[in-house]
Amino acid sequence: MSSAPSSIQASTPRPASADSRVLALVGSGGDGVAVLGDIILQMAAQQGLYGVMVQSYGPQIRGGESAVVLRLSREEVQYEGDEADLLLCFRAADLKRFLGAVRLHAGSVMVLETADEGALPEWLGRDGRDAFRYAFARMDAGAEVPGEPKNMKALALIVKLLGWSPELARETLGRRFGHRAARLTENLTAFDQALAHEGMPVMPALTGHGRVLHVETGNEALARGAMDAGLGFFAGYPITPSSEVMETLIEEFPDRGGRVVQAEDEIAALGMVLGASFGGVTSMTATSGPGLSLMTEMLGLASMAELPAVIIDCQRAGPATGMPSRTEQSDLYHAVYGGHGDFPRAVLGVFDVLHGREVMHKALHLSEAYQMPVLVLSDAYIAQRRQILEPPGDLGPHPARKRWTPDDGPARFDLSGEKGVNAFRVPGTPGGTYPAAGIEHTPDGLPTADTNMHQRMNTKRFAKLAALAVETAGWVRTFGDPGAPNGIVSWGSQFGLLREWVKVHPGWRVFLPEIIHPFPTAAFEKWRQGLERIAVVELSFQGQFHHHLAGHTDIRGIERLGRSGGVPITLRELEHLLEARS
Amino acid sequence: MTTIPLKAKDYRSGIEPVWCTGCGDYGVLKGLTQALADIAVPPERLAVISGIGCSSRLPGYTKSYAFNTIHGRALPIASGLKIARPEITTIVVGGDGDGFSIGLGHLPHAIRRDVDITYAVLDNGIYGLTKGQASPTTATEFKRDRGLAGVDERPLNPVLLVLSAGCGFVARTHAGNLPHMRIMLREAIQYPGFAFVHVLAGCVTYQTPSYAQTVYDRCDVLPDDHDPSDLDRAMSLARAERFKLGVLYRREPGVKPDVLPEGHDVAPDVWAPEAEMTSEPLGEDRAKDAEFPGG
Repeated sequence: MSSAPSSIQASTPRPASADSRVLALVGSGGDGVAVLGDIILQMAAQQGLYGVMVQSYGPQIRGGESAVVLRLSREEVQYEGDEADLLLCFRAADLKRFLGAVRLHAGSVMVLETADEGALPEWLGRDGRDAFRYAFARMDAGAEVPGEPKNMKALALIVKLLGWSPELARETLGRRFGHRAARLTENLTAFDQALAHEGMPVMPALTGHGRVLHVETGNEALARGAMDAGLGFFAGYPITPSSEVMETLIEEFPDRGGRVVQAEDEIAALGMVLGASFGGVTSMTATSGPGLSLMTEMLGLASMAELPAVIIDCQRAGPATGMPSRTEQSDLYHAVYGGHGDFPRAVLGVFDVLHGREVMHKALHLSEAYQMPVLVLSDAYIAQRRQILEPPGDLGPHPARKRWTPDDGPARFDLSGEKGVNAFRVPGTPGGTYPAAGIEHTPDGLPTADTNMHQRMNTKRFAKLAALAVETAGWVRTFGDPGAPNGIVSWGSQFGLLREWVKVHPGWRVFLPEIIHPFPTAAFEKWRQGLERIAVVELSFQGQFHHHLAGHTDIRGIERLGRSGGVPITLRELEHLLEARS
Repeated sequence: MTTIPLKAKDYRSGIEPVWCTGCGDYGVLKGLTQALADIAVPPERLAVISGIGCSSRLPGYTKSYAFNTIHGRALPIASGLKIARPEITTIVVGGDGDGFSIGLGHLPHAIRRDVDITYAVLDNGIYGLTKGQASPTTATEFKRDRGLAGVDERPLNPVLLVLSAGCGFVARTHAGNLPHMRIMLREAIQYPGFAFVHVLAGCVTYQTPSYAQTVYDRCDVLPDDHDPSDLDRAMSLARAERFKLGVLYRREPGVKPDVLPEGHDVAPDVWAPEAEMTSEPLGEDRAKDAEFPGG
C-alpha cells in the first residue's frame, strides 16, 4: 500500500456545491461499478437524499469499460453536474473512453488502484500523483487475478468519504444479496476489510431528510406509468436503449392482468398492438430509432383505421445502427413527419424519470380519447438513468375510449362526430360489426377512391388533431425569471440541464414543450414576448427541433445551438456555446 | 341470443365482391361462410383479418369485425387481437404474395406462438391485384413462358414450410371443391391452436385459363385411413408430385410439436402456449444484469 500524499489527506476537498456530491466511478466489465453506483443510490434514497445516476459505456453494449456518474443532493436533481467531487477508477487506461463524461475540478478527490501505473488521460487535467491509492485488485506476479469484489472495497471507502453509516451499507447489501448467502458473505468481508483501512479523505457529511424515497430508471418509469394508466397489452422487440421497458413489463405486467408479447420484429410488435387495440384493449409498444423506422407503415395504418396506440421511442444516436448506447434527439422529424400520406398523430417529449409516469398517463389518454397513434420520445440519457424520486402518486382515472352502443348510430367513421371522434366499435358488441381498413373508406368503412370522400375523411381525421391541440395548448414547462431578457427553447431530456441553468444564470428563462406535435404555438408566442435573445438547444446535427419551430413561428433571429448526440450537453458546454454566439 | 339457426348468408355483409368472374375467391367466401354457419359463431364474436391482395378483400364481404390491413401483416395484427381478446374467433385470409413473400417472416413465429387463429391462404400462384407478376409459388415454366421475373428462383413449398415450423393443423383443399373446402375450414376453425389451410385456387385473368383445372387434375383427396398424427407421413405427402387434399397433419391439442432435433426440444412436457406468451419473470440477477451491461 503506497501512502497517499499528505497534502490530500490534510486538505479538505473543495465542496462542489453546498448541497450536492458528484461521484464518478470507472471500471471494466466485471468490476461492478454499476452495481456499486446502484447501491450508493439505494443508500441515498434510504436516507431521504435525492440523486441521479447516469452511465456511459464503450461502443459495445456488453462488456468493456463502464463509467457511472452519480450526483446526490438534499434537493431534487435531474442533472448529474459538471465536475465530479470524487473520481474512483480501478484502471487508469479505462478512463480514456470517457472524454466529456468524466470531468474534475481542482479539489476533486481521486482514488486509484495501488498496482496501476497507467497514465491518466491528459484531458483530465490531473496526473494522479496526489491520488489516494488502495489495493483493490489481487495481484500475482504483476498480473491481476480474481480476488475479493473490488466494488465492495470501493463502497467502504465511499461510505467513509461521505460520512455515511456502515450499518446502512450492510443493510443495503443484505437486501441486495440476501438471497445468495455466499455472495453476501464475500461482499461483507471485502467491505469490512476496506472499512478498517485508515487514511481515506472525508467530505463534509451529506445526510438526507430521513424519509425513504424511491429509485427508478427512465424505462421503468415509462413501463410502470403505462401500467398505472390502465395499459392492457404490450408487444415489443429487444433494442437498446429501450429493452428495459419490455423487461419491466415481462416481470411486472402479468401479475397485474396484462399481456406481454416479445414479437419477431418491430413491424409485428406494432402490428400486434394494433390488433389488440382493434379488440378494444389499451395497447402500447416501445422501441428505438431503427425499430421506429420499421414501424412506420403501421403508424399510418393506426391513423387511417383510427386505432389508439402508444409508441415509446427511446432515441439513440443514428442513423442506421448509429451509436446504440448514446443519446440523441434526432428522431423528431421521423416522429412528427415520418410516413407516407397525410395522417394525424401526436408526439410527446419526456423530460426526466420523474416525468415518466405523468407523460405515459397523458399519452394513453390522448391516444384513447382521439383514436390515433401517440409517440412518446424518450432517449438514452433518460432511459437508463436512475433517479431518486418521491414515491409515485395517483394520476387519476384510467384513460378510456368512448365505446359504441346501438344508440350511437350506424357509421363507424361518421363524418359528423364531435371533434371528428366516433364511438369505438369493440368486437364482441352485438350489432357493431364493421369493416376497418387501411384503404380509404366511406363512413361505413367501405373502400373508396373518390377524391371528395378522401378530402372529407382527411378533414375528419385532422379535426381530431385540432381538438387535441386545443386540449394540449398548455402542455409546456417554463422556468426562470419571466422577465429575463434571454431565452432558451428546448425539449425532452434537456430539461434537467436547463433547470440547473436558470439557477446559476438569472438572466435566462426557458421554454420546453411537453407536447412536441401539435406544437403549442400560442404558449410559445406568449413566452417569447420581451426576449432580446432566443437560442434553441438540442442534440441534433441538423437542428431538427429548430426546423420544427420554423413551421410554427417566425424563427428569424432564433439561434441554433445543436450538435450531434453522444454525451449530453453540460452547463459548461452551454456557456461556451452561448458565449461563442454572442 | 340468436335462436334461429345461422345460415351462410348471415355471415355476408351485403357488399358485392369485386372479383373477376370465375375467380376462386368466390368459392372461398362461400366455403368460409358455410363453415362459420356450421359452427354457429355469433358474427359479433368473429373477426376476419387480411393483408393486401385480391383475396384480402374477403373480410369486407363478411359480417364480422373485419380488418383489411396492410400488405403482409395480417398475422401479427390477428395475433395481437387474439391474445388480447381470446374469446373472439379470429380468421386470417390472404394470398400467396401476401403470405409467402412480403409477410413470410411472420408465419413461423405465429406458428411457434400457437395462437388460436385459422390462416387460410388462397394460393393462385400469381400477383393478381398488381396485374400478373410472379409470386413465390408461380411455376418456373409459367415464368419462362410469360417472361416474368424470377425464372431462376425455385417456387416455395408452403405446406412443407409450415409443417417444419411445427404447425399443429395443416390442411389442403381446392377452391373448386366447395364441400371439401367447407369441411377443411370448419375443422381448422375448430382446432384450438394455429391452423393453416392451403387453398389451391386459380386466377382467371393472369394465369392460363386452364390453370385451375390443371391444378385440380393434380389433386387427390386423402384416403380415409390417412393418419393425420403422423408428421413424417405429412412431410412426405407435402413433397409428393400430386397435391393431397385433406387434413395432412393434426397434432392433438396439448401435445408438444415434434420438429426440433432430438434433445434440442426445450419445450415443457405439456405444451403450453400461454407460457410462451407471457414468459417467466426475470430473476433479480438477470434484471440487474440487463440494466447494467458492463457493470
